[in-house]
Amino acid sequence: MAGKSGRTINATPSNRLKGAILSWEGLLVLIFIAVVIFCRIISPNYTVENVLREMPKYLSEIFLFFPMAFILMLGEIDISVGSIVCLSATAGCLFSNMGLSFPLVIVTILLVGTICGAINALLITRFPELPSMIITLGTQIIFRGIAEIALGDGGSVAVTDFKGFMSIAGKIGPFPYMFFLVLISAVIFTVISVKMRYGREVMAVGSNRDTSYYSGIKVRRVIFIAYTVMGLMAGVAALFLTAASYGANTTTGTGFEMDAIAMAVFGGIATTGGKGRMVGGIISAFIIVCLRIGLGQINLNSQLILLIIGVLLIFAVLLPNISAMIKAKQKTKAAK
Amino acid sequence: MKKNFRELSLVIVLVLLVGAVSIKNPSFLSLGNFAEILKNNAVTMILALGMLCVLLVGGIDISVASTMALSGMSVGLLFKFNIISSTPLGFLIGIAIGAVCGLLIGVIVGYGKVAPIIATMGGMYIFRSLAYVISDSQWAGADALRHFPNFALGSFLGINNCVWIVIACYIIFFVVLKWTKFGRNIYAVGSNPIAAEISGINVAQVKLCVYTIMGTLAGLGGVLATTIYASAMPSMQLGSEMDVIAACVIGGVSMSGGRGSVIGALLGSLILAVIGKALPLVGISAIAQNTVKGLLIVVVILVNVITQRAMKKRSLERREM
Repeated sequence: MAGKSGRTINATPSNRLKGAILSWEGLLVLIFIAVVIFCRIISPNYTVENVLREMPKYLSEIFLFFPMAFILMLGEIDISVGSIVCLSATAGCLFSNMGLSFPLVIVTILLVGTICGAINALLITRFPELPSMIITLGTQIIFRGIAEIALGDGGSVAVTDFKGFMSIAGKIGPFPYMFFLVLISAVIFTVISVKMRYGREVMAVGSNRDTSYYSGIKVRRVIFIAYTVMGLMAGVAALFLTAASYGANTTTGTGFEMDAIAMAVFGGIATTGGKGRMVGGIISAFIIVCLRIGLGQINLNSQLILLIIGVLLIFAVLLPNISAMIKAKQKTKAAK
Repeated sequence: MKKNFRELSLVIVLVLLVGAVSIKNPSFLSLGNFAEILKNNAVTMILALGMLCVLLVGGIDISVASTMALSGMSVGLLFKFNIISSTPLGFLIGIAIGAVCGLLIGVIVGYGKVAPIIATMGGMYIFRSLAYVISDSQWAGADALRHFPNFALGSFLGINNCVWIVIACYIIFFVVLKWTKFGRNIYAVGSNPIAAEISGINVAQVKLCVYTIMGTLAGLGGVLATTIYASAMPSMQLGSEMDVIAACVIGGVSMSGGRGSVIGALLGSLILAVIGKALPLVGISAIAQNTVKGLLIVVVILVNVITQRAMKKRSLERREM
């Protein structure tokens, strides 16, 4: 039975659970407001205009979050996306320098990403015995390795004809194009997740794979689509990253997979599958982006942001666990 | 029998690999060269032992590279600012820092019941960030470290000090995992945590110990890396956790827990080490190294699955007979 809350579909959520979910997303909104106020206090430059100007640097990771949310909801993981971004960006830059017209460069970047995603998808669906972590660990090394070979000894490439890339880095008023694309993707992925059959199937497979299989869901197809879309979105991220940096090198996209996973987990999407909501992840993604911009403005050691993300990440999972444990203890005490 | 078969096949791969490279380049097959390989891969080889234990209990630890950076950087700074000058003390401090990092992760995973990938991802960010913060993004070079790098140059009975540490670690872990109660508990927890809990094993405690061991080894690895490369920087060992996991996986350690051995970890890390050294010798450019490494990982795990499927099918056929 499909619960309306969109949290799980293997049980009708009780009111208490519903309250907890509401409070998690509610809490995230409060944290978001707190972060914005905090940044405004520490940095006088933290104005809407400046934030929007700096946003493109950080936004491309959000493209990776959307499909990563689906993959985590499936109970799988993909740690190869950073490498896919690197390979697509490299391919795009090299083809652009070979004189390919810009629309074709876009197609190349998206295609390379999609193919990489499809390779992951094929391996994961054909060899269900293997954890997706280990398959994507292998492909992570391979994809970046291919990019390293393509880049050659220098290890980096700069785009010579950046007219096309500049055109997609443009703005409407103060808003960069990319910002709208992020919003559109957010709406599309949320609608798929909550209202459409595919999103419900993802939740079903993540909750209980065998039951989903026997109730007629094509489990392999669901997983295949998730990983292929992951590749496609990695291509999109690579496109905008190239437009922001006019080049690619062997370290492009390093750690993106972890950031995307961190956004999802902080947003309440469990890595064990079947749990979580798109909205929470989107809010947490913007929390992280805003925090990065704010801390970047006051010239704080840029690595300190990692410390904050790490602590947030652990506490986002630890606190609900502890409260559940305390509740369970009280229950057994009451029963005695 | 099956386990021996798996380890035997790894030995065959290793022998074939060494043989093929030696034909192409006879200088490869020398004792000095092997000592060099062992020394340069000492860090990965030692960490593979800790990762083996973590994978055996069904967990994973991706924070080890950051732990190494924190411990190596701390020791590097202590030497740089003349606070300590004794090599053994440097080792002890580095190992202690690693142990504390591991303990933190262990408490979060064991008692906080946080998924290992999340807890160690948090740890990965936190420890790496601390390494940058304490060093103020500066690094400690060979002159700042003074006599500390001499440890990696020195040798005892003709064998490099670092290689001795590797050998000692492997002997200790072989004995502990095979013949002690704690070692068997690790396998029990990984094979079936619920059964282990019911039969009286404190699962949370075993997990805590395993992550603490991993952290301790990472602390040791960080100090070793500092002496071997004669420098400490906050970005050191970036991404090396994947090498360690890869070594274990090639060595046949299961990611779902309960299966794997010290010999497997040894063979896995040796194969990776030999490939790293051999590729330039056989004329494959060093930039192709990662691609070959990645392909090897994928091929090894796929072949493993395919043979397992074939074995299962055969045993089913036999039963029908």
